Amino acid sequence: MSTTVQAPRRRPRRWQVAPYLFTAPAVILYIAFMLVPVGYAVWLSLRAYRIEGALLGRKTDVFVGLENYAAVLTNPDFAAGFGRLAVYGIIAVPLTLGLALLFALVLDTPAARLKRFGRTAIFIPYAVPGVVAALLWGFMYLPSTSPFSYLTRAVGLGTIPFLEEPGLFGSLANIAVWGGVGFNMIIIYTSLRSIPSEIYESARLDGASETQIALRIKVPLVVPALVLTGVFSLIGTLQLYSEPATLQPMTSAISNTWVPLMTIYRDAFGTDDLPQAAAASTVLAVGTVLVSVIILRIVNRKRMGVER
Amino acid sequence: MRIRPLVASATAAVSAAAVLTGCGAAGGAGTDGPVTLELWSWTAEGQSVVDQWNNENPDIQVKLTDAGGGDESSQKLLTASRAGNAPDLALVEYTTLPSLIVADVPQEITDYVGDVQDAFTEGTWAQTTFDGAVFGVPQDVGPMAFVYRTDRFEELGVPVPTTWEEFRTAAAAVKEADPDAVITSLPPTEFGFFAGVATQAGGEWWSVDGDEWTVGIADEASLEVADYFEELATDGLIQTEPLLTPEYNAMVNAGTMLSWPSAVWAPSVIESVAPDTAGKWAMAPLPQWTPGDKAVAYQGGSALVVTKDSEHPEEAAKFATWLNASEEGNGLLLDTQSLYPASDEGQEMAESNDPPSLMPQQKDFYSVAADISSDTVPVTWGPDVNLAKSVFEDELGKAIKNGTPWRDAFVATQDAVVADMKETGFTVSNG
Repeated sequence: MSTTVQAPRRRPRRWQVAPYLFTAPAVILYIAFMLVPVGYAVWLSLRAYRIEGALLGRKTDVFVGLENYAAVLTNPDFAAGFGRLAVYGIIAVPLTLGLALLFALVLDTPAARLKRFGRTAIFIPYAVPGVVAALLWGFMYLPSTSPFSYLTRAVGLGTIPFLEEPGLFGSLANIAVWGGVGFNMIIIYTSLRSIPSEIYESARLDGASETQIALRIKVPLVVPALVLTGVFSLIGTLQLYSEPATLQPMTSAISNTWVPLMTIYRDAFGTDDLPQAAAASTVLAVGTVLVSVIILRIVNRKRMGVER
Repeated sequence: MRIRPLVASATAAVSAAAVLTGCGAAGGAGTDGPVTLELWSWTAEGQSVVDQWNNENPDIQVKLTDAGGGDESSQKLLTASRAGNAPDLALVEYTTLPSLIVADVPQEITDYVGDVQDAFTEGTWAQTTFDGAVFGVPQDVGPMAFVYRTDRFEELGVPVPTTWEEFRTAAAAVKEADPDAVITSLPPTEFGFFAGVATQAGGEWWSVDGDEWTVGIADEASLEVADYFEELATDGLIQTEPLLTPEYNAMVNAGTMLSWPSAVWAPSVIESVAPDTAGKWAMAPLPQWTPGDKAVAYQGGSALVVTKDSEHPEEAAKFATWLNASEEGNGLLLDTQSLYPASDEGQEMAESNDPPSLMPQQKDFYSVAADISSDTVPVTWGPDVNLAKSVFEDELGKAIKNGTPWRDAFVATQDAVVADMKETGFTVSNG
C-alpha cells in the first residue's frame, strides 16, 4: 500500500509520458489512416446525393438514415456477386492451401534438391502485381492468343472456353492460385522449419517413413499456420476485384456487378453514388470480420476439444 | 477516339491511382504572372496542339494530362472535383455532361464565350447549353456512319447496305459466302451505338417537357430496334463479342471482321489496331430504318468544359474557344488530331482535306462526312447516362447469355434509370 503512494513522488514525470510517446506514432497513424476513414465511410453511408425539383438541379448531400443499407441488402445484383464469390472461393481456397502445403512439405523433406531455387521459383508469382498477372493470364485465355487453345485446336478439340461461364470461375481461380501459392507456402514452410528436429529423429527411430512423418507429424503441427493462411485466403476471396475487373474488357461474361467490390467501385466512381458505395463497403467489411471471427472460433473450439 | 484498344485502357487503369493523387488545381494565384491552366484530354496528338498555343500565348500556359478515355476521364473528373482539385479544363463527352452539371463539376461560361455559338449549328450547341447557360464549347462530333472493308465486300459480292433490312441480307450473304467472316460485332458494351440507332428509329431515351423528364429507353421504337438486333444475333449473323480485344483486332487484321457501324471517328480507331489494312476501308452513310430517310444520330463527340475549381475561367474559356471555334484551332483538330470538328467552319475546312490515312483512296470521305453531318437527329442526354450504360451492359449481357429477349434488357434499363432519377429527386413523368 505504501509503495503506491510513494511511487509517483520518487519517479520523475517523464517516465509516465514515455510509453505514450513511444506508442504515439502508431496510434496517430492508426487514427489518421484507419479510424478516421472508417468513420468517414460510415458517415457517408448515412447520406445521399439529392437534387431539388429543377430540370438539372445541383446535387446536395442530405441525411437519409439507413436508406442506403436497405438498398444494398435488397439489391439482387449485390447478392448474386456473393454467390459468384462462393463458387470462386470453393475452387480457389482449397487449391491454394493444398498446393501451398504440398510444396512446403516437399521442400521440407531432407531428400529435396534445389530448395532455395524451388522456394524462389514458387514465390515469384506472388511478386507479380495482380493486374499484371490478370492481363498476362487474360492473353493466355483469349482464343486467338491462347497457347492452350492453340494446342487443343491443333488436335481437333476446338477452343477452350476460358472466358465463358462456368470455365471463367476456374480461369479466375487459376490466377489466384498461381499468385497465392507462393505466399502461403512461405508461411507454412516457416512454420515447418520451427518444428524441433528431435521430433523427426524420434519418429525415424520408431521407423516412420517420410510420408508418415509428413502426414502424422508435420501436418498436425502446422495446423495453426493453415488456419491463418485459410483466413487470409478467405478475406482475399471476399475482396476479389482486380482480376475480374482486368478481364472484363475481354469478355461479355463479366458484368459491371460481377463481384461485390465491382458493384462498389461502379457506384462510387461510375454512377456517382458514393454514399451507396460506402454503405455496401461497410456491409462487406462487417461481413468479412464476422466470417473471420466465426471461423477462428470454430477452429479454436475444435482444437481445444482435441486437447481436452 | 471514344474507345481505346484494350492494352491502352488497362494501362490507364493502372495509373488511375497516380492520377487521383497527383493532380492539383491550377497554380499561380497572382494576377500578373503567367497563368497556368491544367487540361485533361484524351485526344491523339494533344501535346502538339497545346505546344502551339503555349508558344503563341506566353501569358496563358496550358499543361496537358491524358486522364484516360471518355468514360475514365469523366469518372476521374468527378472524383477530382469532389476533392476540390479538378483541372481548369476537361474534355467531356456530350453523354456525360448533364450528369457532371448535376454533380456541380463544370462552371457556367456564358459570359466568357461571347458570340461563339454562331460557329456551331443549333443542334450541336444544344449539347452544351442548358436553360440558356453555356457549360462548354463543342470540340468534335460523331455523326453515325458505316465503316466497312471495300475489298472483302467486293470479293464476297455483297452490296453495301443502305437500310437495316439490307444490312440483314448483307450479313446473311457474308455468312453464306465465307463462314469464317462476320459483318460486325455489336456487344452490350456498345451502349452508344444502340442509343444512336434507337434515336435514328425515332426513340427518345430522355426528353424534357418543362421541368419534367421522360425516359423512353423502352419506348416502342427502341424495343423494335432491340428485336431487330436480337434476331441478327440469334441467327448468328452478327457477333456480340467485345470490341478492340486482341480477339477482335486479330479478326480485323485477318479481314474476317467486315464492318463497324459506328461514327465518323472510327477510321483512326481501326487504324490504331490494324494499320496494315489501310486502303481497304471506306465510309458510307449508316443504314436507315426507313428507305429514303437520311437523318442519323450522333455516337460520341465531346466538348471542352471549364470546371468549378478553375481560378481562371476567362483564360480557360479563351483556350476552349480558340481550339474549337477558330480557324487555327479547327485546322489543328482536323490535321493534327484527325478529329471531326464540331464547328461549321471546321467541317467546311474538312472538305478540302485529304481523307483519313485508313482510306486514302476515298477522296470524297469528308464530303460524305459533311453530307451525313448535315442531317442529324437532335438528342437529349439524361443526368444519369452512366447508370443507364452500366445497367444496359449488364442486362443485355444477361439476355444474350440466357437467350432471353433483348427487349427485356431495354425495359430493365428503363426501370433502373427511372427509379434512380426519382430517388435522386428529379421529376419524371414515367409511372
